[in-house]
Amino acid sequence: MQPFTYVRASNVGDAVKALSRGAKLLAGGTTLYDLMKLRIERPERIIDINHLGELKHFDTSGERELVFGALARMSEVAADAGLVRDYPAISESLWRAASQQLRNMASLGGNLLQRTRCPYFRGGEPYACNKRDPGSGCAAAEGLDRGQALLGASPSCSAVYPGDFAAALVAFDAEIDVVGPGGERVLPFEELHREPADTPQKETTLEPGEMIVRIRIPVTPLGRASTFLKVRDRESYAFALASAAVALEMDGDVVRDARVAVGGLATRPWRARAAERLLIGRRFDESAARAAGEAALDGAIPGRSNAFRIELGIRTVTDALMTARQRA
Amino acid sequence: MTDVPFPNVPREDARQKVCGAPIFGADSPRPGLLHAALAVSTIPKGRILDIDTLAASATPGVRQVLTHQDLADLQLPGFLLGGYGFQNFQPLRSPDIAYRGQPIAVVVADTFEAATEAAALVRATYAAEAFCPTIDSPGVDIVDQADTPMGQFLTEPVAADADAAFAAAPIKVDIELKCPAQHQNPIELIATVAEWEGDTLIVHEGTQNAEGVRHGLARVLGIPAGQVEVISPFVGGGFGQKNSLQMQTALAAAASRRAGAPVKLVVPRTQLFQGASFRPASRHHVRLGADVSGTLLAAIHETDAQSSRIDFFPGEYAATSARLYGWSAFRGLHRLIRTDTQTPGFMRAPFEHPACFAMETAMDELAYAIGMDPVDLRLANDTILDPITKRPFSSRHAGTCLRRGAERFGWQARSAEPRSMRSADGSFVGWGVALGAYPGMMVSNVVRLTANSDGGVEIAMGAHEMGQGMRSVIAAVAGRKLRISPGAVTVVIGDTRAALQQPTAGSWGSASAALAIEAAADAMWKALAKLTPDGVVEGRSPSEILKAAARDSLDVETMVKPPGQPDDVFGLLRSGLVSRAGPVFDDCVSFSFIAHFVEVHVEPRLRRIRVPRVVSVADCGRVISPRTALSQVRGGVVWGIGAALREASETDPRYGGFLNADLAEYAIPVNADIGRIDVEFIDEPDGLLESGVKSLGEVSLCGVAPAIANAVFHATGRRLRELPIRIEHVM
Repeated sequence: MQPFTYVRASNVGDAVKALSRGAKLLAGGTTLYDLMKLRIERPERIIDINHLGELKHFDTSGERELVFGALARMSEVAADAGLVRDYPAISESLWRAASQQLRNMASLGGNLLQRTRCPYFRGGEPYACNKRDPGSGCAAAEGLDRGQALLGASPSCSAVYPGDFAAALVAFDAEIDVVGPGGERVLPFEELHREPADTPQKETTLEPGEMIVRIRIPVTPLGRASTFLKVRDRESYAFALASAAVALEMDGDVVRDARVAVGGLATRPWRARAAERLLIGRRFDESAARAAGEAALDGAIPGRSNAFRIELGIRTVTDALMTARQRA
Repeated sequence: MTDVPFPNVPREDARQKVCGAPIFGADSPRPGLLHAALAVSTIPKGRILDIDTLAASATPGVRQVLTHQDLADLQLPGFLLGGYGFQNFQPLRSPDIAYRGQPIAVVVADTFEAATEAAALVRATYAAEAFCPTIDSPGVDIVDQADTPMGQFLTEPVAADADAAFAAAPIKVDIELKCPAQHQNPIELIATVAEWEGDTLIVHEGTQNAEGVRHGLARVLGIPAGQVEVISPFVGGGFGQKNSLQMQTALAAAASRRAGAPVKLVVPRTQLFQGASFRPASRHHVRLGADVSGTLLAAIHETDAQSSRIDFFPGEYAATSARLYGWSAFRGLHRLIRTDTQTPGFMRAPFEHPACFAMETAMDELAYAIGMDPVDLRLANDTILDPITKRPFSSRHAGTCLRRGAERFGWQARSAEPRSMRSADGSFVGWGVALGAYPGMMVSNVVRLTANSDGGVEIAMGAHEMGQGMRSVIAAVAGRKLRISPGAVTVVIGDTRAALQQPTAGSWGSASAALAIEAAADAMWKALAKLTPDGVVEGRSPSEILKAAARDSLDVETMVKPPGQPDDVFGLLRSGLVSRAGPVFDDCVSFSFIAHFVEVHVEPRLRRIRVPRVVSVADCGRVISPRTALSQVRGGVVWGIGAALREASETDPRYGGFLNADLAEYAIPVNADIGRIDVEFIDEPDGLLESGVKSLGEVSLCGVAPAIANAVFHATGRRLRELPIRIEHVM
C-alpha cells in the first residue's frame, strides 16, 4: 500500500485546513480502505475525523427538521425509533445497505460519497475507465452492462451511483451543511452529485477543501407513509438492481402529495418529479402507481443486457407505492 | 455392526472450532516470517518481452523480486495421468502468458503491505496474441474427449442403440441446457507458509491433498519427495479447489529458499479467481424418449465442457446421468472446448451437478409432455440394475427417497398445472422435484493404529479435515470397532509426517476412512489376541488386554485397499497419486442418491424468486456421523440454491479472465436467501463396506438446481434451461 500521512483532526476547522489536494477524509473507512486496497484511491494524506464528537450526534425529534451529524453511524440511525415510526423510508434505506458490520462502521456523510461499484472502475488495469483515469475511455460501453446505469449516463460513463440512503434523502428534500475554506454553506442534497457528462471523475459539486458536516431533512407528514424498496441479486449484502424511495400523503383515496426517487438505476441519486406530478391530485390505484413508475423511468436508455432493469425499475416504484399506500 | 445406527453426537472438533483454536495454513506463526505477494499478467495471452522490477525492488521493506528470469529452473507439475498440479503449467517458469491474471512476479518483503505495494509496481511489456476466453468465443478449439490423453481411461457410457431407440420413441424431449463457469470461493484463501529446515521444506497449507502437494513440489523444485513435508490439519473449505498442487506453493517455497527465511504467500480473492481452478462452463444436449405410459426407452446426454489450452480437463457428466434411471438404451458423449484460461477443475460435484441439472430438467419436461406426475415418472423408471454395466447397485434407495420426500413435503397436494398455486401474499408457488446421484468411490490407505493401556487410541492415516467432520467419522468407526468411546480416539490426519496422505475428494472420505479403520481395527484385535493367554478378545477392551499383558501400548500398521484394486495402488499412494476405486466394482456399481423437493415463491409483480423450503432425503448408506452428515446435506442444498439462482463467473470476452472476481459481485447465497432445509436419511447400510457407508458430501448438491428450475417452471410456466435463473428470466 502506498505510504500516506495520517492526521487526526481535533475539530472541523483543522480537518478543513488539512484537506488539501491529495488528502482524503477518513470516517468509517468502509469505502476508502476498500478502494485503497484496490489502488483506486491513493491518498497522500488521510485526515481522521472520527474524533469530531460534534459530528456524531443526530436528532430526529425537532419540530422543523431532522438533523444528522455526518459521523452518525448508519446502524445507529437506522435503529432510531422515531425514524422507524415517522420516516420508514429513511430507516429502511439504511437497513438494506451492506451488512450489519459495515453499517456499524460506516458514517452517513461517507455513505453519501461512496463510489460506484462499476466492475471496470474497480477492476483497475487493464480496464479503461474515464472516472478512474480521465480520458482513457469506458470499458463498460462495449462491455458487460447488466449493472450499468440506464438514467443519466453519458458516452464517457455509465457507472451507477450505488447508495441507498441517498435515494431517501433526495426524495425528502434533504439539505447538507458543508464547511470549507470559505466558511459554511448550505447545499440542497439533490445538487451534491453530478451526472458524468464528459467529466465522470468529478462526482460531486463539493469544492476542494469542503467537507459535509450535517444532513438536514425538513419535517414532513409524508414520512409516515413511506418506504424504501430494494431489489437485488440476493436478499442481503448486495447493491440494488433497482430501488425506490417513495412517500405518499393521502386525502382519502386521492394523493395530496407524493415523493418518488429511484436508486441503482442512475448515475446519481434520482428524484422522479414527473412521477410525483402524475400522482398528485389523482385517485391512487395500481394503475396510477404503474404510471408513476413509467414516468420515473422515462428517458431510460438500455444497453445490451440491462434493458430488463427499466421494467424492473417501473415495477419497483409501483410496488413501493403500493406499500406506501398501505401505510397511509 | 451395520444394524445399529450411529448416535448423533457433537463433532470431535466442535469446541476447538467454536473457540477459534484451529490453526489454518496461513495462520501458522513463526519468527522472521516474510510476506510474499504476486504481480499478475494484464494480458490474457502472449509473452513477456520485458519486465521492470526496479520500482518494486526500491520499495522500502522489499527483500526480493523474482520473475521468470530467476525461476526458470522450476519444472512442470504435470496434470492428472501421473501429474500433481491443478494444471500442467507453472507461472514464472517462462515468459509465456497463458491467461489473464497469471502471476509474473513474486515479491518478498518484511511486511504484507510492502509486498503488496511492490507487486503493484512491477511493470511488464508483452507481445500479445489472439485468444479465446470463453466457450462461446469465435474460433474456439473443440475436441472429442476420446481423442485426448484421458479419453482412453474414460469410456463413454453406452447401452444398446440409444439413437435408434430415441428415433422410434413415441414421446420425445430434445433440449439444450447451459451451466456457467463458477468459482468455489472457500473462505480460507489459497495460501502457503513455506519454511526450510536445512534441505527439508516444510509447507503449511490448507489442502485436500497433502501427499500430492508434497510430490508435486518435489517435482517442480527438483528435490526428493522425502525432503518435503506438508502439514494441513484443518482446511477452511476446499470444495475441490485445494485438491492438487496450486501455483503459489512452489513460488513460496522457492522464495523462502532464496530468502533464507519462512515465507507466507496468501493469494487474494481477486487473484484467486484467475489463479486457481474453477467449475468449467458446460453445455448439454439431452434427448429422452419414452412411451405414453412413461417408460423410458432412450436417453442421450452430450456435453461440451470448458477446458483450457494448457490441459484437457476431462468431463464425466454422463457417467452419472446414465445411472439415474433404468433406461434400456443410453449414449453419452463428451467434447472439450479449449479456452485461454487457467485449467478448470473439480468444483463440488464437478460433473454431477450440471449432469443432474440437464437430465432432471429433461425428466420434468418429459413428465409434462406425457401428462404424468414428475414423482410417478421417476418411480416408474427406478431400477436395481445399473443400465450401463447391468450389474446391481451396491444399494439403491432412490425410490424410497422420492416416496419419503414426497410424503414429508406434502407433494400430493400439488396441482400439476403451472401458475396454478398461490401463496397468501399472492406469490406464485412452484413445487419441483429432482433426483441427484453421485458415484461411490474409495481410496487405499496405510493406517497406523496405536492402542494404549490408559484406554486411549491414536490413529494416523491419510485424510483431510476440511470442515466436513472427518475426525468425527474416523473416531466414530474406530470407537465402535474397538468398543471404546469415540472421545478416546486421537486422530492425526493431513500431515505427511504422520502417515501417507490420500487426497480427500470425490466424496470418498468417509467410505475410505471406514474401510481403512475397519481393517486396522481387525488387525489390532488380532494382535491383541496374541497378547491374551486364551486368544479371546470378546468382552475385553484393548486397554484391559494391554494391562493384563503388562504392555504400555501396541502399534499396528495396516495397508488397506478397496475391493478389486491391485497391490500396486500402494505404489501410487507412496508417489502421491490418486488411485480411486469405483463406482464400478467387480460385482456391483456404487452410487449415492438424493431426492430434493423444493418450494419456490415468485412474486406477482417484482418476480423475485425465493426458496422458502427444501426437503431432501438422502441414500448415503449408513450415516456414521449424523450431525456432520446433516450439515453436509444442508450445505449442499445451499450450494444448489446458489448454483440455481445466484452464481456465475463472468468474463468480458474482450479481456479474458473473470470480471466479478470478489465476494460482493460473485453472488454466493447469504443467510437471508435460505429458508427451511428439512433433511432425512434413509440410513440403510450399503453392502460394500462393513460399516455400510457410501458417499455423501457432493450428492447433496446434485439435483437441487433442477428441482428449483422445475419449481420455477411450475410457478411461472417458464422453462429455463440456463443457470443461473435470475429475476430478468421470470419477469
